[in-house]
Parts: sequence; C-alpha cells; structure tokens
Amino acid sequence: MPEARPVMEATLKGAPGKRSARSLLASLEIDGRLLGMVVAMVVVWIVFNFLSDGLFLSPRNLWNLSVQSAAVAIMTTGMVLIIVSRNIDLSIGSILAVVALVMGLLQTEWIPNGLGLGLNQPYTWIVVLAVGIALGALIGALHGFLIAYFGIPSFIVTLGGLLVWRGASFGLVSGRTIGPLDSTFQLLGGGPRGSLGETLSWLVAGLAISALVYGILASRRRRRRYGFPLRAVWADVTLGVIGSVVVAGAVWIANSYPWPAALAAAYAQEHGITIPPGGLPTGIAIPVLIAIGIAVVVTVLATRRRFGRYVYAIGGNPEAAELAGINTRLTIMKTFILMGVLAAIAAAVTSARLNAATNGLGLGVELQVIAAAVIGGTSFAGGIGTIAGGVLGAVVMQSLSSGMVLIGVPTALQDIVVGVVLVSAVGFDSYLRRRRA
Amino acid sequence: MSIRRTAAIFSIAAIVLAACGGPGTSTAASCTVGVAWATFQEERYGLRDEPGVKAALEAGGAEYVSGGDGQNEAETQASQIATLLAANIDVLVLNAVDPVAVLPSLQDALDAGIPVIAYDRELESDKVLFLTHDNVEVGRMIARAVTEVQPTGNYVIIKGDQTQTNPIFLREGMEDILKPFTDSGAITIVAEEFTDEWKAENAQTNMENILTAHPDIQGVLSQNDNMATGVTAALNGNTDGKVKIGGQDGDSFALNRVALGTQVVSVWKDATELGTAAGEAALELCADPDISKVTGATASKTSGGLDSYALLLNPVPITKDNLQVVLDANWITKDVLCKDVTPGSVAGC
Amino acid sequence: MSAAESASAIPAAPREPLVEMRNIRVSFGGVHAVDNVSVDLHAGEVVGLVGGNGAGKSTLIRALSGAHPADEGEIYVSGERVSITNPRDARTYGIETIYQTLALADNVDAAANMFLGREITTSLGSLNDAAMESATREVIGRLNPNFKNFKVPVKSLSGGQRQSVAIARAVHFNARILIMDEPTAALGPAETAQVRDLVTQLKAQGIGIFLISHDIHDVFDLADRISVMLHGKLVGTVDKDKVTKDEVLAMIIIGKRPEQVSETEMATLIN
Repeated sequence: MPEARPVMEATLKGAPGKRSARSLLASLEIDGRLLGMVVAMVVVWIVFNFLSDGLFLSPRNLWNLSVQSAAVAIMTTGMVLIIVSRNIDLSIGSILAVVALVMGLLQTEWIPNGLGLGLNQPYTWIVVLAVGIALGALIGALHGFLIAYFGIPSFIVTLGGLLVWRGASFGLVSGRTIGPLDSTFQLLGGGPRGSLGETLSWLVAGLAISALVYGILASRRRRRRYGFPLRAVWADVTLGVIGSVVVAGAVWIANSYPWPAALAAAYAQEHGITIPPGGLPTGIAIPVLIAIGIAVVVTVLATRRRFGRYVYAIGGNPEAAELAGINTRLTIMKTFILMGVLAAIAAAVTSARLNAATNGLGLGVELQVIAAAVIGGTSFAGGIGTIAGGVLGAVVMQSLSSGMVLIGVPTALQDIVVGVVLVSAVGFDSYLRRRRA
Repeated sequence: MSIRRTAAIFSIAAIVLAACGGPGTSTAASCTVGVAWATFQEERYGLRDEPGVKAALEAGGAEYVSGGDGQNEAETQASQIATLLAANIDVLVLNAVDPVAVLPSLQDALDAGIPVIAYDRELESDKVLFLTHDNVEVGRMIARAVTEVQPTGNYVIIKGDQTQTNPIFLREGMEDILKPFTDSGAITIVAEEFTDEWKAENAQTNMENILTAHPDIQGVLSQNDNMATGVTAALNGNTDGKVKIGGQDGDSFALNRVALGTQVVSVWKDATELGTAAGEAALELCADPDISKVTGATASKTSGGLDSYALLLNPVPITKDNLQVVLDANWITKDVLCKDVTPGSVAGC
Repeated sequence: MSAAESASAIPAAPREPLVEMRNIRVSFGGVHAVDNVSVDLHAGEVVGLVGGNGAGKSTLIRALSGAHPADEGEIYVSGERVSITNPRDARTYGIETIYQTLALADNVDAAANMFLGREITTSLGSLNDAAMESATREVIGRLNPNFKNFKVPVKSLSGGQRQSVAIARAVHFNARILIMDEPTAALGPAETAQVRDLVTQLKAQGIGIFLISHDIHDVFDLADRISVMLHGKLVGTVDKDKVTKDEVLAMIIIGKRPEQVSETEMATLIN
C-alpha cells in the first residue's frame, strides 16, 4: 500500500475573495459540458411550460416524459460506447422489432400453447425476458464478430442487420400484431400498475441519496489516503445537497401524479385500502427505473472497469491501444453485444408499454438514439462522450417532440425544429471545443 | 438506404421472374397481372389481400406477378413498377404509396396501353378503375358506431399518415356524421393529430400528450386499428371501456378488444374480398381493357373532380353485436377473438 | 550476471547478451523489409540502430517489441529462446518500448496512459484510479518535477510532457530492455538533455537500450556500439570508440564497412 505522500498542490479550501464562474466549476469538479446540457434542458422545459400554459411542468406530463424517453435512453447508453470507439450501429431498430416479436410470440403462443402452460403464469415474464436478452446478445455478437474479426466496417454490417432483422420480423408474423401480452410482462412498460407507488419510490429515493452521500464521503477518504488535493468542503456539501434535492424532487413529482380515478377505485377495492385525498400516487414508473439502473450500470462499465477504459483508449488512438497489448477486437465485439442486450431490453419496455408487438416497432429509432448521443456530447471522431450526456440528450429530444404536440405545432414544423436543434447543438459544441483548444 | 433496398428487391424480383420462366411463356397464362403493393406492415396485406388476388387469378387461369414490398417508400415503388412493366404484364394493380409521386409510373403504364386498377388508394386519373371499400363510408361507419354509444362529450381524432389521401376520405366520412353533433355543441373535437407512418407507438405518444392537455375524453376516432392499439395503451388499456374508441381493419387484436368491450367498433373491410375483386376485375380487363365495362363499375368523380369509374365494396362495421360475421367468414379464429373474454358475455364467444 | 546488477560497480559487459536477435527476416508482400539481420544487446549497454529511410530499423525493432512479429529468425532473452507475437509477450520478458509517435491515447489522462493495458484493479476488478494516479505522480515527478497536469487528457500536454509520460510508462514496469525509437526527434535542447541524462541513469542500472535514431550526433553521444542497416540488410556492427562519424555515415549511405571504403569514396561523401 503506497504511503501517503505530501500534497503537491494547494487545496482549494476556504472561500477567500471573489471567484470566476470557471473556477467555481473547477472547484465543484463538474464537467462544464454536462452542466451546459442540463441548463439547455431546463431552458427547453421552461419555454414549453410557458407556451403550454403550465401544462409541461405538470406531474402528469413529466411522468409521461420520463416513460416516453426510457427506451431511447436505454439504447443511447450503449450507442455512446459504440460511437466513442469509432463505430456505429444502424440495426438497433430492427433488433428491437425482431426481439419484441419473439418475446411476444413466446408469451402469447409458444409457452401457453406449445408447452401447454396457459396464459399469464407468474414466471412467464422472466423466461421471456431472458430469451429476449439472449437473442439480442446473439445478434449483437454476430454483428460484433463480423466487424471486429473480419474487419467489415460497422456501417455496412449494421446496415445489413437493419434490413435482415426487419425482414425476419415480418417473416415471423406476416405482419400480424401480437397482443395483448402477458399481464406481468406488461408491467415493464409502466402505467399505474407498472409503477412503484409511493412507499417504494421514496425507498428508492432514500437509497439513491445514501449512495450519493456515501460516494462523496468515500471520494474524500480516498483522496486523503493518497494525498491528493481535496475538493473544498463547501463544494462537497453543495454537490450533496443539490443531488439530494434533485432526487427527492423527482420522486415527489412522480408521487404527485395520481392514478386515473376509475383504476384507483378498482385497485383500492381489490386490496382493501383507502385512497388518500390527492389520489393514489403513481410513483416511479418501472421502465424509468430500468433506464436509470441501466444508465448507472453502463456508466460504471465505462468509467470504472477495464472494458470502458479500453473502449475510450481505442477511440482515442486505436494503434496505441493495440501497442499497449489491449485485445481491441474482443473489446469492440463486446460493445456490440452490449448494444444488442440494450436493444432487447428496450424491446421489452416498448412492447410492454404498447401491450402489443407489431412488426413496425422501432422503425427509425436508430436515428433518434444517435441524435441523442450526439446532442449529449459524443463525437463521431471518437474518444469523446459520456453516458450521462447521452441520457440527457434523449430526454431533451423527447421533451422537444412531446412539447410540440402539447402546444399543437403542425407535424411538418415539428420535424424541422428537431433537425435544426440537432445541427445547432452539435455545431455550437464543436465551436466551443475549437475555441477551448 | 432505400437505394440498397431498391437494388435488393430489384435483383430478387429479376431472379424470381427469371426462375418463373418469364411471363407469357407458360402455356396457360394468356393473362399476366402485376401487383405493386405499398407495404406489408399491416397484417392484412400479407394475410388477406395478396392471397385473395392470387386465388382469383389462379381460378381464372391468369399469372400473378408481385412487385414486392413497397415498404411505404415512393422511390422503391417506382422502381418496382418499372420492373413489372418490363416483365410485360397485361394489367397493373396499383396500391400506391404516394398518390402524387406515383403519377409518372402510372403514366408509363397507361402509355404502354396497360389498364390500371387503383387498389384501395385513389389515383388522380380519369383512366384508372378505383377499387376500394368506400373509405368515406368507412369514416362514417366509425363515427356512427361511436356516436351511437357516446353522443356527447370531448372527442379526439387520430388520423393516419399526412402524406396519403385515405386519411382525408376517412375524415370526410367522420365529418358527415359528426357535424350535427358538433353544430349543436353536444360533441367537441378537442384534438386531431396526424400519425407518422400510421405507427402504433407514435399514436400512443401523441394520445398521451393530448390527454395531458385534455384529460377528460369521452370518444376517440382512430383511422385504423394499429393506431387504436396505441390509443388504448395510452388509456392504460381502457379496461372499463369508459372511453369509446373506433377503428378499422379488423385487426385480430382489435377484434379481441371489441369482444372485451374496450373498443366499440372495428370497421371490417374484408381484405380478402378486395383482393378477390381485384383479381376478377383484372381478368375482365385482360379480355377487354375498357374500365367502364368491368362488372360493378360505377361512374364516379375523383377527389380532384375528374370523371372516372370506381368499383366500391361494402365495408362492415363489427361491434360486439355482430362478431359472428368475422367468425363465419373465417377471418379470425374463435380462440384469438375470445381471448380473456368471459364466455357468453358477447354473442359469438 | 551479478556484476551487471550491482549498482556500485561500473558494469563490465557480461559475456552473455541480454538480447539476441538472430537471422531475423520480415517480408511485406515479397519484399524483404528485414533480410537476415542479427543484432545483440548487453546489459548496461546502449546499441544504436541507424540507417536511412526504409533501411528496416523500425521494422526490425518491431519484431522485438511485439508490434509486428518476425516471419523467420529467433530471439533470445538472457540466453533463453522466446516467442514474441504481440506487445503483451514483449512486456512479459521485460521489454518496454517508447515509440516514435509515443503511442499515447490522447483522450485520457497521464495515469490512464501509464497503466494502459495493465491497469491496477481493486479486489472487485474495478479500476483503482487513485492508486494509478498516485504511482503516476511519483514516477513522473521524479522524471519531470515541473509536471502538474495529471488530470487532463494528454492531448493538452506539451511535447516534452507527453514524452515524460511515454518514458515513465516504459521505465516504471521494471524493464530490463528498453527500445527507444527516435526519442529526441520532436524535442528541444533542454528536453533532449533530459533524455540523455535518463539514458545514462538507466545504463547505470544495468538496463540494455536499443536506440533508433537518424541523428548521428545523438547516437555517438549515447551509444556504445552501433549497428547499421541498409535496404533491410545489416551492414555491420561497430564499437563507437573504434570508428569516426564519417565512417559510420559511409556505412549508412554506401553500405560498406570502414575497412572496405576507399579513400576516393570517403572524399566524395564528406563533400
């Protein structure tokens, strides 16, 4: 264990004199770009709230927004890693469709009829989900293998995948719509029953805040042990407080969205409870919890595991990565396997939400996901991009789309707005980077 | 992207044509009919329309050539039609992706002296036989069935893709029925939205956002069942049937919803019947290319005011009172129709 | 063998070479980039590898560093035959390389680059960034006390600082054999002097160094022996003390050993 060495640079303790915005950011050690994204999102929200006479920031709309963004956010986490390592995946929409259809057929026909088990058995959903994820991983592995070991460009392989898997999904069902789905599986899609309710939501909030505080304390402890400069106490406290407020606020909003009256009455009767005066709180939707969980897991993979380190190194300098003895081919293949798994999870969330699997599912979603990643700061040159940025990008994009429907913007204009925002955001970011460099 | 699809389908179509020995070389085929399909995304096209056409042509001793899946893309369809024309078809059945973008291809066919049947989607021409279920009547039927059970309140209209004409016909028909209600103030249309590519997820997201602005809705007129699936999901399944939803296509999931009471009506156009009618009309046109002479053709005007001919089939609105109709027509099996339905709660289950 | 390891004595070159490359052949599509070349290196010694463009020196050394394995020939480390097929293999035998381009990943920081491919992990298998940063501060601190920017991507560092990272990476992992490919090519005089001091230090520690350079003066300053290549073949290996710079130049350009060069040829060369 290395000895604590004397600190080499002055710590930023105390609060003497005035401080510029930049040094403030530096003290907090927040990525300026990420903060910029958050600011942009808040601005979009406030503008839409004003234009919609207060509808946009209502609990109902924000709750809807969280669910509507979930599937794209889930897939964006994986796309960030793929773009960072200088690749692209155009096939995710088609993977989504074929996996959703296989999962749909499994739970409505193959398991009930084929295995004679009947519909709506308690554990059908686990089997179905496991098969779906395995299928997504397999497809991703196939793509990854062709790209990493045969050297076929990812654009071509995944373009082929886009066509092949879309064709396969049509062939599976000849265009039929599969539905309704298993009653437990449906919960993965959200809705009142597919949400945590008040108590569990607060529990999740409590866990998140504890994890945040523990993380800050652990970071201080680690820095002290190695003799690194510490973040100022006020900075740590500020971060902790802001983080906790955001988490608590989000859960409070989710709990402020009540069940539809009729459903609440039925539920109350079923379970013999009384409905509180404000209505039955909905709480965090399950697909949103899944999306957040996935964002955390993928962020850990990207920043705290060798896999993630290698992905970024390959993106920064593929030759250097090779010379450092990294198994670059296996790393690339893993990024595509991960993408396949995430597409499968998105398939579960999307079809559960729709309570049906159609073969048009996921059409065009790859472009939404790539746009979200890019708006979130991922660069096509490789090596640059964060998971959190990508998720924020997905939320911003969905806020734009939903907000425009809310205020009644004509469809043609909606597409124009989204396109202009995408180009402006990326253009502005490039300009800033060049100025900083 | 579509260039690749075009190339793929082009080459596959060429190989298929070659393998089939080319048109006109088999002894029985004195009549070759080419069909350009817009899309196979809705279940009906693969399951009903196409088999209907094929069976009718086979019965009449004619040859069937498919242009392939147009995938809702105008450029793809244009090259598919070019392939069909190059294959020397005698009659063209055209299910247009985009009624304006397809006009050059239509002109090519007419110039080649090939009689054209517009299949289910109108073409602005006085030389084309428009074969359709009366889409205006479909709109009327959807509106009629829903207003019958919900004559008052707030209504939402979920329309199809804004680049096509069927949404306009359907809306026209709905307007015919809704007008007296909206004039008297009994019904208010609080929102109408087009839906990109008729996609269910888009309808779901749009409906959720509409509900945020207008939480109190009594009726939803959806221009097809696929979008009605999205609407139903946005309403959390509408399991108590409080919101009255109407759709069309006779989609199996939608018919199940009608049986369960979560959807009021699905206007059923027997797509097999449409396909069969197309096949039979094509056989007649092989013999005599005059569209006015086809059995059942009536004089009509196109939306743009041209004098032309149309062959109109009658749609059937399916509500919980007449589910037996779709069962008798072998359109849907009983266990799919009656999934989760309490036996005896509706006629037919 | 112990003579080389004892830090106090001036190391006499031990009998057995630290590295021996015998009859190395590397071909690219029918062209012999390296044709039957044999070189060796002793502990505490610097062997300069020189030659014009396309002579094959980089290719030869890549066979040792694992970047591009040889097609034919053998490599011996401390008398044992070894097989080097990738950079990982080379590292196992204590061979570290400082590449001409430095081979740094620009988008990550100094510590990440130091430990690239051999990260320090916690018991759970996660990256131990704090330990890596601490070790990096220590190693680079010794090499370059003015180095401050440990947390920024190395893209933002100056040429000399980037060089420090590359050097630190090479010396930290107990290298016994160091390959330096054009180490001073992109450096100013102050930093070049630092590199020279480093080489002297490493020699004293008993590390053997292959130094590739096109700069005759650098090579003469640092190397004990000089191996010259031309068109993929080895012209010869000479003791620095026994030749002049012009004679080495003759080897590089004409391809003849000093004893084979005529006076007229030498005269033409110098002018």
